[in-house]
Amino acid sequence: MDPLAALATVVALVAAATVLGFAWRSRQGRIRRLHGADAVSIDGVELTSTTLLQFSSEYCAPCRATARVLDELAQEHGIAHVELDVAERPELAARFGILQTPTTLVLDDSGHVRARIGGAVRREQLSAELTRISVAA
Amino acid sequence: MSRPAQIDPRGARFTAAITAVLLLVDVGLGLVGGVAATLAERAVQPAFLLLVVLAAIFVWSAAAGVARNPWSVVFRRLVRPRLKPPAELEDAAPPTFAQGVGAFVTLVGVALHLAGVPYALVIAAAAAFVAAFLNAAFGYCLGCQIYLLLVRTGLIRRTAAV
Repeated sequence: MDPLAALATVVALVAAATVLGFAWRSRQGRIRRLHGADAVSIDGVELTSTTLLQFSSEYCAPCRATARVLDELAQEHGIAHVELDVAERPELAARFGILQTPTTLVLDDSGHVRARIGGAVRREQLSAELTRISVAA
Repeated sequence: MSRPAQIDPRGARFTAAITAVLLLVDVGLGLVGGVAATLAERAVQPAFLLLVVLAAIFVWSAAAGVARNPWSVVFRRLVRPRLKPPAELEDAAPPTFAQGVGAFVTLVGVALHLAGVPYALVIAAAAAFVAAFLNAAFGYCLGCQIYLLLVRTGLIRRTAAV
């Protein structure tokens, strides 16, 4: 390939990767509201209050920061935060179709999944959503 | 969960950035050079030699830990002393695992290029570039994604820690 065409290809590669990066980042932490008809029960997790159920893994750069934010939000809102390792609970990862870590489910006190957040959570948005869920309950 | 060795996250991003630039150079060299006719010629093409060096660095960092990656060492010696302390540290495990993924992809490229497969080197270097670039510029962790995939397919399983 002549150098000019090679350069154009390299530039196109960088542009494509940049588009991919922005697309990925815009989806991170987005809150998806769910209206699960069935209450879920999870072995080893007691659902007595609204619960932030976080799926983490050993190889996960943003899981720790998310765990810290969810801990703080749980305290502020008087709710529970439970962190599970997908490698220890693969059946749950399969059941909830976990495709990235962290993934956070918001379960209400009756065990219905109310929201799902893929990737690192955005503190302010999730806090507002938790307020909305507790007011609606 | 166990919390292994800690690193400065900016060091990991710095390492990924240098790696991405070198891989991009390799893509360019590979496109210009193409695939030479004989094995002996292919083994001395610039794109091939650079990819061998990059693959060797990936293998070394995957085995010895990302903190011993040469670019991480450069960051610690030359860059970090000029920066403020990091807001928080990160686990070394995810980027080290990612170095292993990089090692796998670049070694496949090296082998297929030696075998004379057209564009194998360019595609391997481009794939590794995209992963390193997304990590450096956006904080995306491909290694983490692949680890989860291995868990989901049942290839990795751990018993619950008590």
